[in-house]
Formats: sequence, C-alpha cells, structure tokens
Amino acid sequence: MSLDLNQATPEDIRERAAIDRSVRYPVLFFFTSAAAWLFVATLLGFLSGLKLRVPTLWEDCPWLGYSRLFPVHMLALVYGWAMQAGLGVMIWLMARLTRNELKNPVTVIVAGHLWNAGVAVAVITVWAGLGRSMPWLDFPVWVAPLLFIGYLMVTLWLIPMFRARRAGEVYVSEMYLIGAALWFPWIFATANLLVGDEGAATMSTGINAWYMSNLIYFWFAPVALASAYYLVPKIAGRPIHSYPLAQVGFWALAVLAGWTGFQRYVGGPFPAWIPAVSGAASIFIIVAVVAAGANFWFTLRGRQKLWEYSPTLRFTLFGVLMFLAYAVLSGVSSFFSLSQVLQFSHFVVGLDTLAVYGFFSMAAFGAIYYIVPRITGCEWPSPTLIRGHFWFSTYGIGTVVLTMLVGGFAQAGQMNQWDQAFVRSVEVANGWIVGRIVAWLLIAAANLGFFYQLALMFIGRGRRSAGPTLIHAEPGSVGSAEEAVALAGAGGHH
Amino acid sequence: MSDNPDKNLDYEAEGGSVVDVHDAVRREKVLPPTGKEPISFGPLILTALVLILGAGYLGAYSNGFRDDIYVTKYYRPDPRPAGAGGDAAAEKLAWIDQWMKDGKKVYNNCVPCHGPAGAGQPGLFPPLKDSEWVNGGTTRLGAIMLKGISGPFTVNGVGYNNIMAPWDTLGDEKVAQVLTYIRREFGTLKEGEDGIVTTEMVKAAREQFKDRTTPWDEAGLRAIPEDSMLPGAKVDPQTGQPAQ
Ligand code: HEC
Repeated sequence: MSLDLNQATPEDIRERAAIDRSVRYPVLFFFTSAAAWLFVATLLGFLSGLKLRVPTLWEDCPWLGYSRLFPVHMLALVYGWAMQAGLGVMIWLMARLTRNELKNPVTVIVAGHLWNAGVAVAVITVWAGLGRSMPWLDFPVWVAPLLFIGYLMVTLWLIPMFRARRAGEVYVSEMYLIGAALWFPWIFATANLLVGDEGAATMSTGINAWYMSNLIYFWFAPVALASAYYLVPKIAGRPIHSYPLAQVGFWALAVLAGWTGFQRYVGGPFPAWIPAVSGAASIFIIVAVVAAGANFWFTLRGRQKLWEYSPTLRFTLFGVLMFLAYAVLSGVSSFFSLSQVLQFSHFVVGLDTLAVYGFFSMAAFGAIYYIVPRITGCEWPSPTLIRGHFWFSTYGIGTVVLTMLVGGFAQAGQMNQWDQAFVRSVEVANGWIVGRIVAWLLIAAANLGFFYQLALMFIGRGRRSAGPTLIHAEPGSVGSAEEAVALAGAGGHH
Repeated sequence: MSDNPDKNLDYEAEGGSVVDVHDAVRREKVLPPTGKEPISFGPLILTALVLILGAGYLGAYSNGFRDDIYVTKYYRPDPRPAGAGGDAAAEKLAWIDQWMKDGKKVYNNCVPCHGPAGAGQPGLFPPLKDSEWVNGGTTRLGAIMLKGISGPFTVNGVGYNNIMAPWDTLGDEKVAQVLTYIRREFGTLKEGEDGIVTTEMVKAAREQFKDRTTPWDEAGLRAIPEDSMLPGAKVDPQTGQPAQ
C-alpha cells in the first residue's frame, strides 16, 4: 500500500487499463469522426460568413446561398462535432467512473455509424434545399429517427453501467451523465414532434428556441460539467471542494433547464407569462453555473498555476468560464429593454456560437486531450500545437462574440427604426460580419494543428516516451503538471 | 511493440502479466471522494443576488400569468404614422410627422426654461401647456418669437417678470416648425384648426413686425387681437402642399 493516497494501487492501474482498452475503439471512432465534422463545420462557418458579407458571391448557385450554408454549418457543428465528441466523452467517463468495462463496443460503433449517417443525411438534405428553416432542427423530420436511434444505442449502455457502479456515494459526474443521457431523447423527440409543418407556426418558433436552449443546458452543460468534475480533481490532485455545492449546481440545472428558451421571443405572440417564465429560469439558472464554477475555483485554490501547464485543465476551465459568460449574457438579454433591441440581431448568433464553441467545444477539447493518450498509448506530439490550438480558438471565439454583440446592437438599432429602410440595418451590420469570417479562419487555424495531432495519435504515431505533453514544458521532461509548477517555482527562487 | 522499452512501462514487477499499461494510465491519480465543505459565503451571496433578480423579473413581466395578455406593460412600440396605411405608409413619413419631429428638435432650445413638457417653472418661466398665448392666434405667437418679451407678463392670470430674448435668428422654417410643435403638442386647438404654422406664415410675421426694434411688453401684445391669424395658405398634413 502506497502512503500517498492519491497514487493508484497496482490493482487500480490494471483495472483502469482494462477499462480504457474496452472503450478504445468506440471512443476513438467518435473523436475522429467528430473532428472530421468539425473540419467541415469550420469551413462552412467561414463560407457562410463570406457569403453574408458579399451576398453577390456565387449568385447563381443555390447550394452556396447563405440560407443553406449557415444551417448546414450549424448542423455539422452541433450534431457532427459537438454532440459526437460529447458521446465519446460520455462513454469513457461512465466506464471510468463506475469502473465497468464496456461490454458492447461493437454495438456502440454501429450506433456511431448510424449517428454519422444521420448527420450526413441531415446535412445533405438541408443543403439540397429540403430544410425546415428551424435552427438546429433544419433537417426533414424523417431524419430525426436516425439520430434518435443512434443516440439511444450509445447511451442505453450507460444505464446498466451506472447500475453496476461501485458502492458508495454517487459522484456528481455520474449524475450529470445519467441526466444528459436521459434528457436529450426527451427534448429531441418533443421538438421534432411539435416543430414543423404539423405544428402551429408561432408555437413552432417558440419550441425551436426552447430546444436550442435545452440542448445547451440539458446536454452540453451536463456533459461538459461531468467531464470537468472528473478531470479537475484528477489534475489538481485533491478532492472537489464541496459536495453540497456540487449538488446545488446539479439540481438547479435539472430543475430549471427545461423552463428556459422562450425568452428569445420576449414580446412575441405568446401570452406574456410564457417568455417571462423562461426569462426568469434563464436568470435563476446562473446559480447552477456559479455553483460549478465556485467549486472548481475552491478546488484549485493555491494551485491555479496548473492551468499554465495542463492542456486539459486549461481547455476545461476556459470552457467553464465561457459557460458562465453564456449564462449571464442569455439571462441579462432576456430583460425586455435589451431583448426588444437584440432579439432578431446577430447577437443571437454570437450567443449560440459562444455556447457551442466557446463553452462546450473547449471543454470537449480538454477531455480529448486527457482521454486520447490513455486509449491510444501514446502522448500528444507537440506542446506548441496545443498552445496554438488554445490561443487561436480563444481569439476566434472572442472575435465572434464581440463583433456579433456590438454588430448586433448596431444592426438592431437600425432595425427598430420604423421610418428607416430595412436595408440600413443590413448596411450597418455589414462591417461587423467581417468578424465572423475572421473568427472562423482563426478557429480553422487553431484546429488544423488539432486534426494533425489527432490523426497522428489515431494511427499510433504519437510521442512514445513517458511523461505527459504539457504546454510550457519540454515534452516528457516532467511527470505531471504539478511537477512542472513545482519546478518553475523552484527556478523562480534562485 | 514490446521491444520499445519506452512505450509500455509494464508495472507488473512480479512478471507474468501482459497488461499493456501506458504511462498516462499509470501516473494518473485516483479520483478522491468529494470534499464535504459547506457552501461558503461567496457563492451564497451570488445565489441570493441571482434569485432576487430573477424573482423581480418574473414579477415585472409575468402579468399575473394571464393567458390573455400578450404584451407586457414594458413594451412601448413607436407610434405608427398618422393615417397609417400599412407598411407602404410606414415607409414614407407623412409631411406633418416629419414637421413635428423637426419642431421637437427646435424645441430643445426652449426646454431649459419651459421644460420638456411645456410646464415652465413657477415664478420664473411661464408654462406653454394650455397657455392662453399658445391656445390663441398665431399672430401673437409670431410676434413673441421674433421680438421677445420683457417685463411684467401674465399667463393664465399668473404674473411673471422676466425676459425672453427674441428667436428671430432661428430662420423662418425652424420658427414655423417649433410653433407648430408647441401648438399641437401643448395647446388646445379650436374646432377645425390643425395647428400648423407654415414657413410662409412666419415670413409674413417677419414682414409685419420688421420695424419693431424693442421686445414686447404685455400691453403691446394684448393690442394684437387674440384670434388674429398670420396670413398664409392652409396645407395638406400628408403632403405639405397647399390644400385646395
Ligand atoms: C431663457 C429662458 C427662455 C427660453 C430659452 C425660452 N423662453 Fe419663452 N419665455 C420665457 C419667459 C421668461 C417668458 C415670460 C416673459 C416675461 O416674464 O416677461 C416667456 C414666454 C413665452 C411665451 C408666452 C407666454 C406663455 O407661456 O405662453 C411663449 C409662447 C414662449 N415663451 C415660447 C418660447 C419658445 C417657443 C421658446 C423656444 C424657441 C422659448 N419660449 C424659449 C423664457 C424663455
């Protein structure tokens, strides 16, 4: 028995290795195909921005119209990349947390193919002009079952795993994972059944907004937080600060998320109390984010320097920070005075991008940087590329959010002037659209390094020496981010 | 693979096991059980703030959860142009709306004394709202604007003793706009009157009072008949062109 309680016993290590091996192929499958979709989405993000800025471009080609490029970009980003990466994270996390090997890797891989087929069909149909014009739900309704079944085939395995968990208190990550696994089928089915040709047009719009907000709070948030609650204590080498705080955060999310969404149409043709309830929920839910954020803050107190070295911690914490930004912005913008101005402007696009890329994707990158070395048996090749990935992503997301926020104000200011020609609002916003183009270029630059490294890891050509790849350290020169901090501290005193 | 000593740092010292254990898996710490710290002060305060904000929001916007209220009282749409005919009318502003809009801008000159709502300031500056002078004929108003007033002055039976400098530097159009604005906004118009003062009318006033060099006193102004109107063609409020 080791004296250091944080050090794993040989039995632990053997178990871990077996678990990691059991999920290796499905998880790698999800991560690599997610990365491929991210590549497509990034390209489309850039093209759709360009098209919005220069509408006369490729005038004769309906396939390159904004009304197709943008929805397709969002579908690829949300279902192709973000959710798929999230599914990979879920499987690995659940297996690790409950200490179960994955019994059916083959089924999960089949399910993964089904999911990818669903995303591909969704993208192609919308691109071909068969879309429903419902953001994040653009695909024709018959595509939904593909995604739905694919999803269930993956996440259903999480439930027996959870039931066969080791004894003792349920770890908060497990709660988040089970929550996410169950909430998505509910919101996805509800939205697909109620939105579209059959439903009343006005309600469809509202339910659409409800779905988007719920996908963020009921799926992206729990998956990202589950990962953060697992990885932060692992890297910090100390327990999560407070169990009660974690519980408050979880239950606040669970109780409130379903009420959010309608505030996007404050002042719209709904009885006024509906958006009011949603708006209040989107304010209350800030509590869930504050609870998680505070918990990580206290856990890391005195060890913040780890953030400089550990890629996992850096991406994860940045994601949590952006989650806070998202929650506060969406809460504040449900106030009438702001919403009245901003609700139909570019601001909304900025907010969605903040949630999917700034928050969830960054947290997912954090998890991927942690998981992939463990399941492939090699280390990330280049700290420089990781650093580039982080900073270019940060610049990219910063650019989108700032330009869309300011541009949204400018655009909306004109849009709300009834004696002004509508085209004025377009002209005023036009300059800010450049931000969107630049941002997706930056994000593309960020991810090229990521794709390259992931591909190397995938074919087993990662770094073969011992020791993690840390951001500000010679690869393999130190054994952990903690050691790197200690070394740097010692160097500083001389 | 196993001939690469760096790759698989097999932990099994006893030998026999072929468990392929990568260094990342070995060095990883265990996941410690969550700490039991109580919720501390900072998050509690933040939570309380968020709850208060959200509750206030709900109270303000929910309108008692009634199904028949669609627009909260906080929503104040801009007024649509007079005689609105749908979007076509909205696209082009009626002449009178633009005239009033401009008049409101000119009225900014008067706000320091007469106040944004024309209420004046007791004892110092008389009100324009429902003042006998504003309600009366346009000749008196033209005279006041172009030459100013000084000395004791009664408005609706209340005495003032102050000075208003002449506004003749404003230009005929602006004087016409601000007079239209105060009459339509603050005055009570007589039956059949539209309250519009045109540039042509102000020109006539300038002509009529051009020989006067000093500000008016009350007696001089009251010598102008109360219902005397400046000469000039009536205009169509939609187009601003002389009405037939
Ligand atoms: C410096 C302050 C001041 C400003 C600015 C001013 N006024 Fe006056 N106004 C007065 C005073 C003072 C009187 C009363 C004169 C007196 O006491 O001798 C008066 C009287 C009047 C009257 C007649 C009395 C009444 O209440 O109906 C009118 C009409 C009038 N002002 C219109 C205007 C308009 C229109 C403007 C803007 C273009 C304007 N005033 C700007 C101070 C001001």
